Amino acid sequence: MTAAVTDLDRLLSRKSFIELSARERTKALLDAGTWRELLGPFDRLHSPWLEMQDIVPQEDDGVVVARGLIDGQPAVVAGIESAFQGGSMGEIAGMKIAAALDLARQDHERGIPTRPVLLLETGGVRLQEANLGLAVIAEIHAAIIALRPHVPVVGIIAGLVGCFGGMSLAAALCSHLIVTPQARLGMNGPEVIEQEAGIAELDASDKRLIWSLIGGEQRAAVGLVDQLVEDDADAIAEAVRAAFRAGQPDSYRSQQIPQFLARLVAIDPALVTDGPALRALWGKGEQA
Amino acid sequence: MVQSLDTGTAPRSWNKRGQDKARRLAAVAPWLSGKVLPSSRIVEALEVLVHSGDRVALEGNNQKQADFLSRSLAEVDARKIHDLHLLISSISRREHLTLFEKGIARKVDFAFAGPQSLRVAQLLEDRKLEIGAIYTYVELYARMFVDLTPNIALVCAEKADAQGNLYTGPNTEDTPTIVEATAFRQGIVIAQVNELTDELPRVDIPGSWIDLVVVADRPFAIEPLFTRDPRIINELQILMGMMVIRGIYERHGVTSLNHGIGFDTAAIELLLPTYGASLGLKGKICRNWTLNPHPTLIPAIESGWVESVHCFGSEVGMEDYIRARPDVFFTGHDGSLRSNRVLCQLAGQYGVDLFIGSTLQMDPDGNSSTVTMGRLAGFGGAPNMGHDPKGRRHSTPAWLSLITADSEVVRGRKLVVQLAETYQKGGEPVIVESLDAVQVGKNANMPVAPVMIYGDDVSHVVTEEGIAYLFKADGIEERRAAIAAVAGATPVGLKANPRKTEDLRQRGIVAYPEDMGVRRGDAKRSLLAARSIEELSAWSGGLYQPPARFRTW
Repeated sequence: MTAAVTDLDRLLSRKSFIELSARERTKALLDAGTWRELLGPFDRLHSPWLEMQDIVPQEDDGVVVARGLIDGQPAVVAGIESAFQGGSMGEIAGMKIAAALDLARQDHERGIPTRPVLLLETGGVRLQEANLGLAVIAEIHAAIIALRPHVPVVGIIAGLVGCFGGMSLAAALCSHLIVTPQARLGMNGPEVIEQEAGIAELDASDKRLIWSLIGGEQRAAVGLVDQLVEDDADAIAEAVRAAFRAGQPDSYRSQQIPQFLARLVAIDPALVTDGPALRALWGKGEQA
Repeated sequence: MVQSLDTGTAPRSWNKRGQDKARRLAAVAPWLSGKVLPSSRIVEALEVLVHSGDRVALEGNNQKQADFLSRSLAEVDARKIHDLHLLISSISRREHLTLFEKGIARKVDFAFAGPQSLRVAQLLEDRKLEIGAIYTYVELYARMFVDLTPNIALVCAEKADAQGNLYTGPNTEDTPTIVEATAFRQGIVIAQVNELTDELPRVDIPGSWIDLVVVADRPFAIEPLFTRDPRIINELQILMGMMVIRGIYERHGVTSLNHGIGFDTAAIELLLPTYGASLGLKGKICRNWTLNPHPTLIPAIESGWVESVHCFGSEVGMEDYIRARPDVFFTGHDGSLRSNRVLCQLAGQYGVDLFIGSTLQMDPDGNSSTVTMGRLAGFGGAPNMGHDPKGRRHSTPAWLSLITADSEVVRGRKLVVQLAETYQKGGEPVIVESLDAVQVGKNANMPVAPVMIYGDDVSHVVTEEGIAYLFKADGIEERRAAIAAVAGATPVGLKANPRKTEDLRQRGIVAYPEDMGVRRGDAKRSLLAARSIEELSAWSGGLYQPPARFRTW
């Protein structure tokens, strides 16, 4: 009985991370009282391209960059706001992330151990900014690779938008990737696959199917992410602190080329490989 | 015995219906084993059992559907069977209208046509379909016992035994009523079942009321219509929910009630264990419900707010949870829910303190309707739940609290509350000068405009601006002023006179959030006891198993 009551209290008091806006998410990760925003909405750094296409821009272009402390150490958190243009990466939005990562690298070169965290809630490139968006995503990739020898780059996919397109590559480059069960991670989003390959190939409205293929639990089970955490702001903040305490991984997923090629070879393309089959094939959390 | 005056003719038969039924059943007798008809014979059997011009009650409500029988009826030869008169509570499947396109059916009496409402309007215009009336559920069933008794009833159940006893499972809903109206006036009752079994978990309908049982090609169709994903509840709805709890439930001491199926009422359900508890209202309000098993009620049940829930129907995914909470829900000796739409409607009309629901349009007099241009949707049960039944005689504190007259002979009122955000998405005002329903009624040659809830039945209107206590308003002008005072920036609201509004607030006929101690800034999603379907599932200890479309994990 007491246990049940405690459970109810826990349910009532749980603070959902998914519920939070990008700005609130960055706050939730930084030590209390240390949060300050760089290039906030009042700096009026918005996309010059959206208005030309009759889209109301946002004064932070959908990315919140915040500085503060994590576990008492200097940190920078870049959070993508999925409520603005689906978290898409335009020129300004993407450059805010790339520059934050680059400045963190410069910090390390000057002996300041800045901890970088990325909140990857994004459909990928912003179609209205096409090539500029793609170029800046490539800059983010390069910046992650340049920074990660200095300090773990921690990525978080919480949901519900998920992380897709070029930014799914950014997620894959992170030193430590944290997801919730509500997260999704994939190159093409389900709707894109359905549109391109037909509903017989993938029914994007079949949520159970989608999550069984690219959901947080599945991605954790096949070792494509490092940690599965429930949707609780405190639990996620603790997971971030723990990731920095753990330090550098033995090797990066993006360097495990032979291992991943071997995984692909193990798949028979003549067979339909669903979520459970892939778990059986690739094993739980198998990593080189 | 009275002799026929007209010598030469046989004495009048008083059992023509029974004889007709016997003749029809004799024609299919060779195909039956007991009461069971082989599924492959269903179309043939319908061509023999159903005669042109028959009144056919087709079980199809907004939840379960006798879809094997409706699909089979759509396959009969229209040269043999035509001009049927369908009685159907909810026109929701494609084949329901195929019956009219093929000429198998001509006339229909119905209560709701949600997803098929556009096609109904088109068939009506093409003169392929004739509408008897658009009802509420209970009116349609009532007429089955008066002048629209079915010749044939096509119903569905989960299981049957060889004697034709039926187990409906949690979705008993309308089946006993349709069967009773048909069986006891010598109509033919055909039941589709998911499976035949030797032993039923319980008997919901006795076999002697059933003539034929046929196993369906697939389990009957059922829709999770009452599941509202808490993720979609917005802060305006939370603000309105807080006002309802404070300004209506607490103020009038509402202990028994029915909720509509909107997100705003779902918000109220999810605010009880948090905001409601902070006001110390647990046990004082919202104890007894006439309500489908809404998943959003789980946190209130789990935290001890809810004494009882009687259900119109069931809800997909709630079966195991209900089975584990028999103190709260009406369940059979087998443990599963027993729902009953007509009895729950009756309970919701006469037994409860309050009905609350949302609308898509409201006029300056408080008349409301969900009918909009080009859609002939009907209202299901809302008009019956959402009115003040003048035949009520028992009193409760809430009912008595609406007495305003000072006289020896007075009566109380049921609380009928309409919720309306002043603007819909897309910038359409909800409070309008004239309901679309008026024009729709004219276009469809309806004798009266299809109003869902009449203004004179509405006791309270709640918008994000505040509450209009219409029952306290003196005369039509004051009612209009009270509605305008909470109508925000709609054309109706802009005409509100600030001095009059101030007077109404002074006299307690209009209350804004600050008047009832509700802080707008507190209306945050974090105030919801569950913010997602997975949290509802967690509240239920995993007993609530949401349908696939609601899963985001």
